[in-house]
Amino acid sequence: MLNIEGLLVYFPYDYIYPEQYSYMLELKRTLDAKGHGVLEMPSGTGKTISLLSLIVAYQRAFPLEASKLIYCSRTVPEIEKVVEELRKLMEFYSKETGENNNFLALALSSRKNLCIHPEILHANIVVYSYHYLLDPKIADLVSKELAKKSVVVFDEAHNIDNVCIDSMSVNITRRMLDRCHNNVDTLQNTIHKIKETDAAKLKEEYRRLVEGLKEANVARETDIYLANPVLPDEILQEAVPGTIRTAEHFVGFLRRFLEYLKSRLRVQHVVQESAAQFLKDIFEKVCIDRKPLRFCSERLQSLLRTLEIADIADFSAVTLISNFATLVSTYSQGFTIIIEPFEDRTPTIANPVLHFSCMDPSIAIKPVFQRFQSVIITSGTLSPLDIYPRILDFRPVTIASFTMTLARTCLCPLIVGRGNDQVALSSKFETREDFAVIRNYGNLLLEMSAIVPDGIVAFFTSYVYMENIVASWYEQGILENIQRNKLIFIETQDAAETSMALEKYQEACENGRGAILLSVARGKVSEGIDFVHHFGRAVIMFGMPYVYTQSRILKARLEYLRDQFQIRENDFLTFDAMRHAAQCVGRVIRGKTDYGLMIFADKRYARADKRGKLPRWIQEHISDSSLNLTVDEAIQLSKHFLRQMAQPFRREDQLGLSLLTLKQLESEEMLQKITQIAHQT
Amino acid sequence: MRHLFVVIDCSRSMEDQDLKPNRLTSTLKLMEAFIDEYFDQNPISQVGIITTKNKRAEKLTDLTGNPKKHIAALKKAVDTVCLGEPSLYNSLSLAIQTLKHMPGHTSREILIILSSLTTCDPSNIYEIIKTLKSLKIRVSVIGLSAEVRVCTVLTRETGGLYHVILDESHFKELLMLHIKPPPASSSSECSLIRMGFPQHTVASLTDQDAKPSFSMSHLDSSSGPGLSLGGYFCPQCHAKYTELPVECKVCGLTLVSAPHLARSFHHLFPLQPFVESSVEELQGNRFCQACQGELKDKNIFTCPSCHSVFCVECDLFVHDSLHCCPCCIHSQNTPFGVS
Repeated sequence: MLNIEGLLVYFPYDYIYPEQYSYMLELKRTLDAKGHGVLEMPSGTGKTISLLSLIVAYQRAFPLEASKLIYCSRTVPEIEKVVEELRKLMEFYSKETGENNNFLALALSSRKNLCIHPEILHANIVVYSYHYLLDPKIADLVSKELAKKSVVVFDEAHNIDNVCIDSMSVNITRRMLDRCHNNVDTLQNTIHKIKETDAAKLKEEYRRLVEGLKEANVARETDIYLANPVLPDEILQEAVPGTIRTAEHFVGFLRRFLEYLKSRLRVQHVVQESAAQFLKDIFEKVCIDRKPLRFCSERLQSLLRTLEIADIADFSAVTLISNFATLVSTYSQGFTIIIEPFEDRTPTIANPVLHFSCMDPSIAIKPVFQRFQSVIITSGTLSPLDIYPRILDFRPVTIASFTMTLARTCLCPLIVGRGNDQVALSSKFETREDFAVIRNYGNLLLEMSAIVPDGIVAFFTSYVYMENIVASWYEQGILENIQRNKLIFIETQDAAETSMALEKYQEACENGRGAILLSVARGKVSEGIDFVHHFGRAVIMFGMPYVYTQSRILKARLEYLRDQFQIRENDFLTFDAMRHAAQCVGRVIRGKTDYGLMIFADKRYARADKRGKLPRWIQEHISDSSLNLTVDEAIQLSKHFLRQMAQPFRREDQLGLSLLTLKQLESEEMLQKITQIAHQT
Repeated sequence: MRHLFVVIDCSRSMEDQDLKPNRLTSTLKLMEAFIDEYFDQNPISQVGIITTKNKRAEKLTDLTGNPKKHIAALKKAVDTVCLGEPSLYNSLSLAIQTLKHMPGHTSREILIILSSLTTCDPSNIYEIIKTLKSLKIRVSVIGLSAEVRVCTVLTRETGGLYHVILDESHFKELLMLHIKPPPASSSSECSLIRMGFPQHTVASLTDQDAKPSFSMSHLDSSSGPGLSLGGYFCPQCHAKYTELPVECKVCGLTLVSAPHLARSFHHLFPLQPFVESSVEELQGNRFCQACQGELKDKNIFTCPSCHSVFCVECDLFVHDSLHCCPCCIHSQNTPFGVS
């Protein structure tokens, strides 16, 4: 049991890391201040249990201040891990206090469990995926009635801005429009049938429409409901416009809108316009006003309920289109429409797409920040920390970055900027075809494969780049040499192939043959898979993972960030590249007994403005002498590091330094040291 | 009694020059020193050497108690070409083929010196780990490059040790660790072992009964059969041998001498550490019981059973080499109390 500034916290383990204590301290201070927080703590240092222990203790001590904990995670395995830790914590509580606590924790992991709404109201702790809180289409169903005095935690939140943007963006293809057309036909037929059997139902709906929105308004005002970006407050003040009140009129309205969209997709060249221009064009072409568009999604929901449609999934196409209609007509800023007749890489295949792209991540998350008292954004790779408050538009009371206390330095970040022939290494666009650079990269991988045991993970900046390099290596005979040392596996865009490659990679690492996994910096592997212990003894980042800068959507987004938030384009692109790089290399260390090499193979990493954007817990191990190494120098350092790490290292070696017993924690000098771990920005 | 197979990696990676002049030469040299020391400390044990390269494994020397054979083979092996990858699976199964026939009361060990970070196995190595466990064979590994997962699992499952060297002197240290016998598990079988203790007979030409005879140990050597007068005669079949310990070729009896046995047994009955105390506390004459020199150091060591006093150097000598307290033995030999 710990005492953190007066709060009694039950911690279910005998040993604690100093940075866990420090983290809990900052967390408590954030909750005391009733504000939001941005906290960066390296993965594998027990972040989850620290969060849970502290917040549960806070809930018990101040049940009115923090009535609920909403823990948002990205993937189902992560949710399961959280539930495990929670279970342990609850058992510990029962053991220590002797009483059966009446805490209810609820975890939602699949679509089957959506209709649980009354239970959520009573639960003290809810664990689910981000989307249930951020995606406006789902949030309404699940998270509408969550109490205001809740603590929301977004774990592994380094990509939260992309999640926000994706949840508000819509891509419309011709196929989607065809499906929508079918949906609308079905709707029409259903309405016709009901009219014959039960006209009263439709009349009832009509009446409800006039009343129904009033209900939602009252609920919002009295703070019972969470705001929904797809149904902003202004709309609630008004009644549904006459043009779409009756069911048949609404269906006709949908048809006209659909025709308009189909015509827009018949372009021969790229079109980019703002939402306002789009609306003007709609009005000119099909006489559809802005107002009825805004009510589109709500109207559709009501219609589906009235017609008692059981399987909503069948109508996903028309739901999407109606959401699009509402979004485009509601927001004057923050969105852009780009219509492309074909994909850039395949100009001869006609594949028109309408991208309705959200450029402002703060729109989706604004309701969350406004409603809930304390929102904590945490991850292992959140640097540079000050960008998040700017792009998500909120003011945190705490911004802090924590480092790992280590009894032995278990990570070895090296920046390899040159080949042995002194040619500068980079994935810059201009040097991509350079034969010498490719050969040097191949040499680096070859040498590493000879000295690193078990598994190596190599990340490239894009699939195209990876394919080109690997083809080149094959021609130069480098692949053959590498294969004598280790087997090679490669990630592709096909999910099944990648799973198979991953499986075989793990098998090769287990049975001593050793393997290399070639993957891509924004692919599935870099987002989700951990390479603990022998599965990842070294990670090589070939180049800097800049996003494809010629994309029109990206360009629009950068322009918006520059105009609205005064964030320079280069700064944002670098931030995005570095956070992906950090994510990739962070996969390889998951705990203090794990160890790994982190090789940054691009001369640009040595520059202070790029290096400074890496998380603090990686930066502090980059020494000035390892900034611009040649391949040979890096190999020497790596060999030495690996030998050192292979020496026996037991728990006793960590005690007192990076692992503390309760007694050690309470000593004066330890508490002094702990205050220095959190670095405030 | 120990049966140890040493597996030496002869793959491509052994040509690396981080040990001077290259890994293979350095390893073989250290192995020679190891063999000498090993038979010194474990006289009634047997060693065999296996090499592995090019995905195969072959025996360099068979299991035998004769150190000369091993040293000769090691010296010749310096010229081998290092190529290909080693095969852990094949080396282990080759060693298992012989070790599984060894009696249960002896210890079965394999020591692998692995430099490569990859191994080419024809079949799942976890199967063979299960076999090793069931046969109670202990496998230890000394890695020359870095920590490999499969070795960690192998040594952990079979109860052996896994170390990775930092440099050449560390390599030597780690090798010498394996000279001490590993702790015996309580589940090993106990049985009675027949041993012969031949007396050394020395005869000269002037003796009337002296008959020259051939020594059995010279049957294999290329030097001419030596007729000699003295030697050790097996108590069971009277075959002659010039050196001990040896296994009689005629009747299979293990022939040892008493000091050999004593040296093997000191691991089972280790000498207690002596009690350290400051020299001022000593009353009476200040001289060491063993070397009779004056006690000049600050600390003295006292044997807990006979309470004799020793200096630092004698204490070291008694514990490292003698393995018995000289005063205790002396007092045992004279039961009528002359001390």
